Amino acid sequence: MTVLEKETGGKSYKAHKYGLDHAERPYIDYGDDSIIWKKTAESFPHRKYVSLEALSKKLAIRNEQLLTFFLDGSRRVFKVDDIAYKVSGGRSVIYPVIAGQIGVGCCRRINKTVVPEKFKREIVLSLPDIADADGIPGFFNATAKKLNECVELKRIGIEFSTILPYKTAKNTDKKFEDRGTACIQDRMIEREKEMVAELVREGKLNQDNYLVKDGSLEYKPSKEDKSDKKKYQMFKNNYSWVLGASKNFNPEICLDINGKPNPGFIADLPLYHRTPVACFVSDFLGDDIQFAVWYIRLRDKKQTRTPFDGILKVEKILVTQEEVDNGIDSDLVDTLSAYLINERNPVCYGSDLRWANHIYPVYLTESFVKSKYLSAESFLHLF
Amino acid sequence: MDKFNFWTNSDLKLHAFDIVKVEHIDNSFSFGVIENISHITDAQSFLTNFISSDFGDVNVEEPTLRVGMNYAEAAISFNDRNIYTPVHNNARVYLATAEEITMALGLDKVQNPLVCGSLKMYEGTDDEITLPVNLNSKFILGPEGAHLNISGISGLASKTSYAMFLMKAIQDQYLKVDDDADDSVAFVIFNVKGRDLMAIDRPNDFIDDKPGEKERVFAEYEALKLSTEPFKNVKYYIPFSSNTSAKQSTYLGTDDVKAYMEYNQLKKIKYSYEDDKESLEMLFADIDDPQQTMEAIISKIIDDTDPDFGGGRIATWQDFRDKVDDLSQRSQPAAKGQQRVSNEISVLSWRKFKRIINKATKNDDMFANRPDSSKHECRLADALKHISKNEVCVIDVAKLPEDKQAFVFGDAVRTIYNLKLGEYDSEENVNPPSRIIVFIDELNKYASKETPKTSPILREILDVTERGRSLGVVLFGAEQFRSNIHQRVTGNCSTHAYGRTNSIETATKDYGSLPSTYKNMLTRLEQGDYLIQNPIFRSLLKIKFPKPIYKQFK
Repeated sequence: MTVLEKETGGKSYKAHKYGLDHAERPYIDYGDDSIIWKKTAESFPHRKYVSLEALSKKLAIRNEQLLTFFLDGSRRVFKVDDIAYKVSGGRSVIYPVIAGQIGVGCCRRINKTVVPEKFKREIVLSLPDIADADGIPGFFNATAKKLNECVELKRIGIEFSTILPYKTAKNTDKKFEDRGTACIQDRMIEREKEMVAELVREGKLNQDNYLVKDGSLEYKPSKEDKSDKKKYQMFKNNYSWVLGASKNFNPEICLDINGKPNPGFIADLPLYHRTPVACFVSDFLGDDIQFAVWYIRLRDKKQTRTPFDGILKVEKILVTQEEVDNGIDSDLVDTLSAYLINERNPVCYGSDLRWANHIYPVYLTESFVKSKYLSAESFLHLF
Repeated sequence: MDKFNFWTNSDLKLHAFDIVKVEHIDNSFSFGVIENISHITDAQSFLTNFISSDFGDVNVEEPTLRVGMNYAEAAISFNDRNIYTPVHNNARVYLATAEEITMALGLDKVQNPLVCGSLKMYEGTDDEITLPVNLNSKFILGPEGAHLNISGISGLASKTSYAMFLMKAIQDQYLKVDDDADDSVAFVIFNVKGRDLMAIDRPNDFIDDKPGEKERVFAEYEALKLSTEPFKNVKYYIPFSSNTSAKQSTYLGTDDVKAYMEYNQLKKIKYSYEDDKESLEMLFADIDDPQQTMEAIISKIIDDTDPDFGGGRIATWQDFRDKVDDLSQRSQPAAKGQQRVSNEISVLSWRKFKRIINKATKNDDMFANRPDSSKHECRLADALKHISKNEVCVIDVAKLPEDKQAFVFGDAVRTIYNLKLGEYDSEENVNPPSRIIVFIDELNKYASKETPKTSPILREILDVTERGRSLGVVLFGAEQFRSNIHQRVTGNCSTHAYGRTNSIETATKDYGSLPSTYKNMLTRLEQGDYLIQNPIFRSLLKIKFPKPIYKQFK
């Protein structure tokens, strides 16, 4: 902290340190109406629920697997201090200093046992953008480097990978803490994308080895991704064999086939059925990325707390032009959904409140990633 | 400090009593004996598992196996550098090699080795190791420690077979010793059931076993460096019964008896009044005698100066019974004014005495006037006095009623004890071996906690267990329930073998010192498996022993 103070010319208050993870993950925020439900996105235009019970049983007996890799990223964010900077008029404004641990892990399932495949951990800081008094690009990276030279950190072998500036301009009503958190969240998503790209590069993903990613696939392609057409197609191609499985979703944006919000349509989804596949584009992500989205019920309504527990939201990016035009092959959707239905067991009941929507290998991946974290205490004592 | 836990792959086969090696400080290794193995998963409760099968559908196949692991609890038995600080976190645990196991158990430094079985480590895996287990014979035959106690339920524990196996090992060892060595041994074995031990010098024909069994058993014996021959130098003693009598006193067939007699291997035992009256008290071992009247009568009988019995007035059992009968009549006021004779002992006691004596001796050919040595007859005490080294005496008491079994056993033990005390040294041809092993099954009949304190047999057994170690009389006792046996008897045994038993037995305080896994294990030991406790072992050992090599009767 002292190093930071000196480097950025602020004043540290040695304030109370605490975790910011008490709330749900902020990415449920994408529940605003920016997503546009466009049309059906499968080759056979189903209008009703599709039963997958028979298919899933058939597949369970066959003992084959398509879903081989499981990826989960998570982050733990703390407010570690307050720091004051003099701004115009000699006022001194206090900003929070946010620090986070990011972990992205991927596990592979071999012979019914889940083994770790890849893991990345990062410790990052998030400072207000005005901490960089001169506005020179590269300032934050240099600061991080200086921080890492600190003897104490070296001794315990910990490195800050970067410092992320958060915007201080008062154009939104979000709190500074949340802005910092969002920066760290973005960083985590970047890492997730990198890991997917790595898996693709290594040729591990193919039609027989899908990757199931925890959470949504609504990745924002970075500016560089977008600028280069070839690169952009590669980005999309990376996701040919990736499914996003979300436990949490905003039922209000569950638009039905006619484009009207109809949470009931999903709430009433019978056991082991899926909804028709819808296609949507998101403003947020740009027009040329289209998603196929459908919902699957894994668990009987009677046995869950709310009608939305036990429903898994599945996303897949439409990669090829053919897919964009005609939608995904319905048979493929059925097969993938049936495999996902079979993933309903075992459950993590008791260890995780979200057991009804969790699929076990993802839960294991998540546990694996979390087990690699520094404990909250040790982490906070870094500052 | 004395325990550590480690995790293993859930598929790794380990067993209680297996030995593992764990890294410790200063490049040393600690060795631990596995006491318990548990399996845990990430399921928080049984409800989790229930839900994982679609709320109770047993046919559900899970595409992913639940994360689980085994962890084992091991008790430190040894460190190769004598460092007994606690084992550290994340220390690597290995399976041990045969040499390391021998070292860890302290088996490498056993002096005067006497094989007592073999132990198997990592059973059922590719790393299976079989090792012979040696005892220090000075700790089982004396003088450092003596006596063996074997417990286990009938049929499943094969107590007799184990005792016989040990005795076979002992005989093998002493047969190899030079003739003029100081140390020598002889065996006195009581056959209490059927014909079980009546053919221990005949080879096992393995007739009821599957083919190849013989070769397998022989190989086991060879691996333990034992010969594959049955007992040698065996003599059998059966209670006398005349050939004409319908009631035979042995389960041995007449042909067998004849055959044995031809080889001078079998003798019939007789008890004569004159020589064996002193053993009469053995008949009263199980009789409550709170006023000690029976004792008084017996001491009167053996008193040489007694006006009724002393001075050679009585010569035969018939005379004796008549005399007793006479005495039990006397109290009836025979004539007025006449003084009652033998007023010390009430006539009621005489009557009780008479009932017991008559029941035992009347109509029993064993209580005879004199043995006829030309007809292969002898007195047991005489035979035992002349026991020679490496001799095995099998005394058949299987068909005798309980009181007479006690009589024979008590008489034999007393003779052996006196022999070793040197009481018969003045007699001709008495040259006892330095150690005599007495094996008796169903020890609970003679030395249970409920046996009256006045019991002469209990007294004999206590004498043997408490002083036999230095005298060279070694008791191998076997019983179903160890908790029934007199504390002073088990307390003096240096070696204990625990065979399969039941949970009622393991709940008694005799087994209080065992960890609960071992207790449970005792209830499901296989036939031929024993837990052995001996002062030279660092911990209890689970051993196996091969099938008997002598003839078996079904």
